[in-house]
Amino acid sequence: MAPPAQSQRSPSPSQPSGKSELSDLKLQLRKFAGSRAPGVDDSKRELFKKVISYMTIGIDVSSLFGEMVMCSATSDIVLKKMCYLYVGNYAKVNPDLALLTINFLQRDCHDQDPMIRGLALRSLCSLRVANLVEYLVGPLGSGLKDSNSYVRMVAVIGVLKLYHISASTCIDADFPSMLKHLMLNDSDTQVVANCLSALQEIWSAEASRSEEAPREREALISKPVIYYLLNRIKEFSEWAQCLVLELITKYVPSDSSEIFDIMNLLEDRLQHANGAVVLATVKVFLQLTLSMTDVHQQVYERIKAPLLTLVSSGSPEQSYAVLSHLHLLVMRAPYVFSSDYKHFYCQYNEPSYVKRLKLEMLTAVANESNTYEIVTELCEYAANVDIPIARESIRAVGKIALQQYDVNAIVDRLLQFLEMDKDYVTADALVLVKDLLRKYPQWSHDCIAVVGNISSKNVQEPKAKAALIWMLGEYSQDMQDAPYILESLIENWDEEHSAEVRLHLLTAVMKCFFKRPPETQSALGAALAAGVADFHQDVHDRALFYHRILRYNVSVAERVVNPPKQAVSVFADTQSSEIKDRIFEEFNSLSVLYQKPSYMFIDKEHRGPPEFADELGNLSIGEAEDNVVPSQRVEENDKDLLLTTAEKEETRGSTGHSQQASFGIDDLLGLGMPAVPDAPPSPPQLKLNAKAALDPSTFQQKWRQLPVALSQELSLSPQAIAALTAPQALLRHMQSHSIHCIASGGQSPNFKFFFFAQKYKESSNYLVECIINTSSAKAQVKIKADDQSTSQAFSTLFESALSKFGIP
Amino acid sequence: MPVAASAIYLLNLRGDVLINRLYRDDVGGNMVDAFRMHIMQTKELGTCPVRQIGGCSFFYMRISNVYIVIVVSSNANVACAFKFVVEAVALFKSYFGGAFDEDAIRNNFVLIYELLDEIMDFGYPQNLSPEILKLYITQEGVRSPFSSKPSDKPVPNATLQVTGAVGWRREGLVYKKNEVFLDIVESVNLLMSSKGSVLRCDVTGKILMKCFLSGMPDLKLGLNDKIGLEKESQLKSRPAKSGKTIELDDVTFHQCVNLTRFNSEKTVSFVPPDGEFELMKYRITEGVNLPFRVLPTIKELGRTRMEVNVKVKSVFGAKMFALGVVIKIPVPKQTAKTSFQVTSGRAKYQASIDCLVWKIRKFPGQTEPTLSAEVELISTMAEKKSWTRPPIQMEFQVPMFTASGLRVRFLKVWEKSGYNTVEWVRYITKAGSYEIRC
Repeated sequence: MAPPAQSQRSPSPSQPSGKSELSDLKLQLRKFAGSRAPGVDDSKRELFKKVISYMTIGIDVSSLFGEMVMCSATSDIVLKKMCYLYVGNYAKVNPDLALLTINFLQRDCHDQDPMIRGLALRSLCSLRVANLVEYLVGPLGSGLKDSNSYVRMVAVIGVLKLYHISASTCIDADFPSMLKHLMLNDSDTQVVANCLSALQEIWSAEASRSEEAPREREALISKPVIYYLLNRIKEFSEWAQCLVLELITKYVPSDSSEIFDIMNLLEDRLQHANGAVVLATVKVFLQLTLSMTDVHQQVYERIKAPLLTLVSSGSPEQSYAVLSHLHLLVMRAPYVFSSDYKHFYCQYNEPSYVKRLKLEMLTAVANESNTYEIVTELCEYAANVDIPIARESIRAVGKIALQQYDVNAIVDRLLQFLEMDKDYVTADALVLVKDLLRKYPQWSHDCIAVVGNISSKNVQEPKAKAALIWMLGEYSQDMQDAPYILESLIENWDEEHSAEVRLHLLTAVMKCFFKRPPETQSALGAALAAGVADFHQDVHDRALFYHRILRYNVSVAERVVNPPKQAVSVFADTQSSEIKDRIFEEFNSLSVLYQKPSYMFIDKEHRGPPEFADELGNLSIGEAEDNVVPSQRVEENDKDLLLTTAEKEETRGSTGHSQQASFGIDDLLGLGMPAVPDAPPSPPQLKLNAKAALDPSTFQQKWRQLPVALSQELSLSPQAIAALTAPQALLRHMQSHSIHCIASGGQSPNFKFFFFAQKYKESSNYLVECIINTSSAKAQVKIKADDQSTSQAFSTLFESALSKFGIP
Repeated sequence: MPVAASAIYLLNLRGDVLINRLYRDDVGGNMVDAFRMHIMQTKELGTCPVRQIGGCSFFYMRISNVYIVIVVSSNANVACAFKFVVEAVALFKSYFGGAFDEDAIRNNFVLIYELLDEIMDFGYPQNLSPEILKLYITQEGVRSPFSSKPSDKPVPNATLQVTGAVGWRREGLVYKKNEVFLDIVESVNLLMSSKGSVLRCDVTGKILMKCFLSGMPDLKLGLNDKIGLEKESQLKSRPAKSGKTIELDDVTFHQCVNLTRFNSEKTVSFVPPDGEFELMKYRITEGVNLPFRVLPTIKELGRTRMEVNVKVKSVFGAKMFALGVVIKIPVPKQTAKTSFQVTSGRAKYQASIDCLVWKIRKFPGQTEPTLSAEVELISTMAEKKSWTRPPIQMEFQVPMFTASGLRVRFLKVWEKSGYNTVEWVRYITKAGSYEIRC
């Protein structure tokens, strides 16, 4: 295979060898340019095909632009289309020549055949040359009013294209309001759908620039628009239905009867043959019922069957997409799917990406009633030919053991793995047994008997070796050979490449020494000597530390190195619930597959430097400054990326030493760490700016970027509930406490508010989302703050302000 | 925003670009290089169909010897994107007449560009229905029918259908003989443990239809499914007829089926598209009749010899028969010599897949042929441990049999001209993934 980087320049023999072929083509095209002889179209077609095929494989044929345009005067529609395609591809690099095409495209825009009108309009808008936009406005305007729906459909997307070339031209020509009119009145649903796509895109891009944009965007999810679309939903194509359904998830119904109406109307969508429509409907159901716990559970029951069908039908790639969503749901409601665990059994020939998800699913749905069957099935996979899957399934067994219940049988199974005599199985099982012992020390006796039989020579993987060594140290009084095994490992110190193993070895031999001093003394001496001489800084430091503390006082050393341990009850979850909720909000999108919220992989500042920036220097999205980062830094940053998101959040939240240390590096890398210098101890009394101002787009942007500082549930007094007949009442009240409202909505019993406040004489903002349910008299409050350290103080302030509501 | 694809590429297995359609400017022109470098040439290729490289996400699917890659720069709807690819491939196939592979693409690349232009605009999916697209993109690429004579009558009609509401059927169809073909195709998925207990078993079925009907007919289909029958007896206030009823776990329908009516009356009524289409799909997990039972005994005799005995029992009616039965029995890699005895069909050792392949062309019901084989192995020390018996796999087709027991009770056709129609119904059960552990 030729290296792809050069593939453009070193074409295979079948491709043209360079200039001579191009000039040949040029001559031939010229010959046909003016000719109207019969049969000339066929020859032209062959030539055009050749040009397009060169273009496809990446050869630059832009030098033929002039000739192609000259040949474009034809009545043959296929020739026209090829010419349009060519022009669309190269107009951008040839803006001057592109002017030549305007003429014939504009003429075609007035053709009597609607097809030609549509095609010409589409190509005209695809030229993407900024200084030609003046020629677009006229044809687009008449295209939107065309009697033929095909032309209108093309014109609507054309408006969107124009917006991307020149936003101001598009807005000045008042196209958005024309689209809005079309959306609400056109008889053709594809026109309506395209209007919706275009308006959504235009208003969200415009949101940061104009004041009307957020309002217009809100208008798209207003009751009349939503009802209009809902009533026509069956006329839409399946793709447009996905679009409409996605819009409906953003709609906030005023009361529960409205929610039920919408769900009844959409229920049959769950039977649609297109899986994308089904998933979109599932999202609507889940989002609408979020606040109604009982109904939400019923929704899970209702969507179960359609989702399971989607998993088993379609290509593996489609199954993968659906399984990822199912996985998300299973994590939220494991019991719903616990009786369907058999659906997640792996088939022998499935691709490993599907198997892996199924393993995770089996782990998640395991409970008292099905653990036995699931573990039995997982054990089958442990003997799988596909080694990564075999390993995953062993880990899955371990995870189930750590989650619960009938550990008895599982421990036996794990111990059987140890005896299976396959290196990778042993390795993973060892790591699991270690974790298991940390949680259930009562099993040590059984486990140690088996672990003792494993020859350390058969364990090569660092993680497994470390686990084995940990057990040797921890249970050295029960394992007869422990000191001698450790001794032999220390003898081979120099051959041990992993620093992690060497660190564990040091600690284990220390622990062993406290329990069986005479047998271990010589090994300890050797280990400390080797450790102090070690080139790895951490190993060296630890050895030196042990050495010194031993010299100081042995009993103190024991208390430091081997204190009595408490069994671990819960292993840390890797993702915070905040992040999980964010992913759930973005159901039916990439976030679910990547298992992280979209801002982490869409926004540039969160993404970190593009992983392959150096190789793909000319990627349009690559940030220039990232390419300057020295390679070593990138490596460090990669490590940082390896941290789970939760760990990252933690680091950001704490103002401790570690953050200070890493701050410099992170900032250099432009990772978008919130700039939190040493915050002075927060003043006990927080003063707010009574005339604070914040425009909605800044609010939205901040809301997206900031982590939630505080999230709590407050109770409201009966007086407050009585006073809260309309959102405005609370707004005025909060304003008197210098907390301003930026958006509010809802009707009894559900109200939703977004507030903000500003610190007095500082530009530090607090953002609040407050959802009040008057029937339960509860308020869900989420606070985000520029300055995290004062968020608690602000929360107190907010709470007291809210508690005074309704009391005259 | 549902898809908004930035680009679509079609590549061959070597990574050469066959088709390259950029829809948006938000990704660079050389995304295809990124795909080649970071996905095709690494081990990543088989590990996940969705990958992120430098801020862009790549969705890719392999279909025969072609990769279809969609590039997006936003938080796109993945399910929608994959479904789009599947539908687009179906569309291309209907144009090329069956095959979708590298050669077909090379031969039709102009046509594909034309289609890509119509089915997606600026990254948003548009009309993908072959019925409608064929009205104005003809295979030979001649001028569209309504443009040749602008004064011609079909102009308003045809263009209305391009985007119209009843997108799946043209008006004014005429057939001399009005016929409907109904195929019920079921595939049985089975996972059986080595002890002979069923670990997992389900049936995914589809009803395929081929319609050659004049005018705008209204069709109604009755099945022996439980809910439908109960509803019917309720409506007609008479007790349900005895006999087997089937419980469908889940059903999905072609867009032509009136879902409101299905939900209220539980009948499947629709105006069918012309030609071939998939009317409905269903899934059943309860009460599945397995057409075959496989009873394997595999003994490892020492280090170099194995004895394999497999008995296959057909448990459908004695008058029926299965076709194209293939049983694949895995053996270790170091197999040197095999010898067989079979009571029916033919068997051979196929080294390329490490299996004994036993084929029976015609397999009558209520019989139980056996295979007994002796396998000699090359003795090696290292490999011996690692043979992890993969499951026995089976392929078959049983005509006139449904594993679920589903039957068509009636198919009614109404058309205002009141013509007579001929209805043909066929049943067939195939093996999905039919695995027996040993």
